Amino acid sequence: MIRSTISGLPSVNAFKRNATGFGLRREAKRHAALIGADEVFKSGVAAALCHRSPKSRAFLARERARIARAMLADCRFCAHDCGVNRVAGENGLCHAGAEARFFSAQIEVSDELELIPTFAVALSGCDLRCDFCITGASSWNPRAGTGFDTHAMAAKARAALQGSARTIMVLGGEPTIHLPAALEFVSLLPDTARLIWKTNAHGSAQAHELLDGMFDVWLADFKFGNDTCAQRLAKVSDYVRGVEENLRWANEHSELIIRHLLMPGHLDCCWQPVAEWLAGNLPGVKVNLRSGFWPAWQAARHAELQRTVSGPESARAVDLAQRLGLNLIP
Amino acid sequence: MKKHRTKKNCESSGESQVSELLILPDGQILVHNLTPAFAGLLHELNPDDEHISSRVTRHMSPHL
Repeated sequence: MIRSTISGLPSVNAFKRNATGFGLRREAKRHAALIGADEVFKSGVAAALCHRSPKSRAFLARERARIARAMLADCRFCAHDCGVNRVAGENGLCHAGAEARFFSAQIEVSDELELIPTFAVALSGCDLRCDFCITGASSWNPRAGTGFDTHAMAAKARAALQGSARTIMVLGGEPTIHLPAALEFVSLLPDTARLIWKTNAHGSAQAHELLDGMFDVWLADFKFGNDTCAQRLAKVSDYVRGVEENLRWANEHSELIIRHLLMPGHLDCCWQPVAEWLAGNLPGVKVNLRSGFWPAWQAARHAELQRTVSGPESARAVDLAQRLGLNLIP
Repeated sequence: MKKHRTKKNCESSGESQVSELLILPDGQILVHNLTPAFAGLLHELNPDDEHISSRVTRHMSPHL
């Protein structure tokens, strides 16, 4: 269930306190006016959302998709905070344009047991550059795959729900960089559908405002336990602070499941600090410790990532989780 | 280690479904993007594997 409902959007006053983070450029304003979303620049994202009377998730998603599309002209969806005009063809670190593409859409049963079978839609492109990414070719390339026709995909998703699927999962790459398309997709789905947002937890405060109440479950990665590993393996700086901020927010605004992909040679530097932080800061949160690492994509660049996780490593990781009282789920 | 990519036609849409698996020297199989069809196949190969059987059960009883 959605813990924070659509009526739980931030108040206008709450937005004003944070308004400095929403400075949008002139190009963005021009683009917004063209598509009829200029109110977002007059009063801010939350205010633009709040003064309407919300009727349903689909209704809100449609409104927010419109706002998100305007924000592409000054893109700050992720914590990289690039501020590029994607509508005009400028590239941020994710290299994504204004239109989303997808590289996979199918029913899958490899995720958490409580979520499967899920109709999983994987959008191309990502704001991180994990060398071990198992879908690296498509995740690093926002032009991979097929154009994302939201109406056609929503029809497939609805058909999947009529069949065996229990949930619909939006993932990537990283779906945060494609918020307009993701929200448009949500706007075409039944309000009763159980929606999963599979994310790297590297989103911005702006992204959170747009996503609040849209997805029933946040399935969020906590990949690295320190900034050095994050920089070396995923070329991202200030990783830990940003992820912790994202996870705290997600825990307050939706159901949350945190994933950690156990990596060979990274128990002490990554899993242990992640596990200790979870135990101390989000006690009871659902944690899925994944031990099925395989040396995909460009993992071979790193000596320790050229193998799978050993049995003893996996056992030690589980033992640590149990000693810390983590709520491990299959 | 051997990496395999499997495709199966999706009955409803005509599009293909893809699972990827890695077979380790010790016989372990790691799977990415496991589809129900492939889970069923793996279950047939080893009905005693709890990891797979729980996922096949979920697929067959989606509203549990």
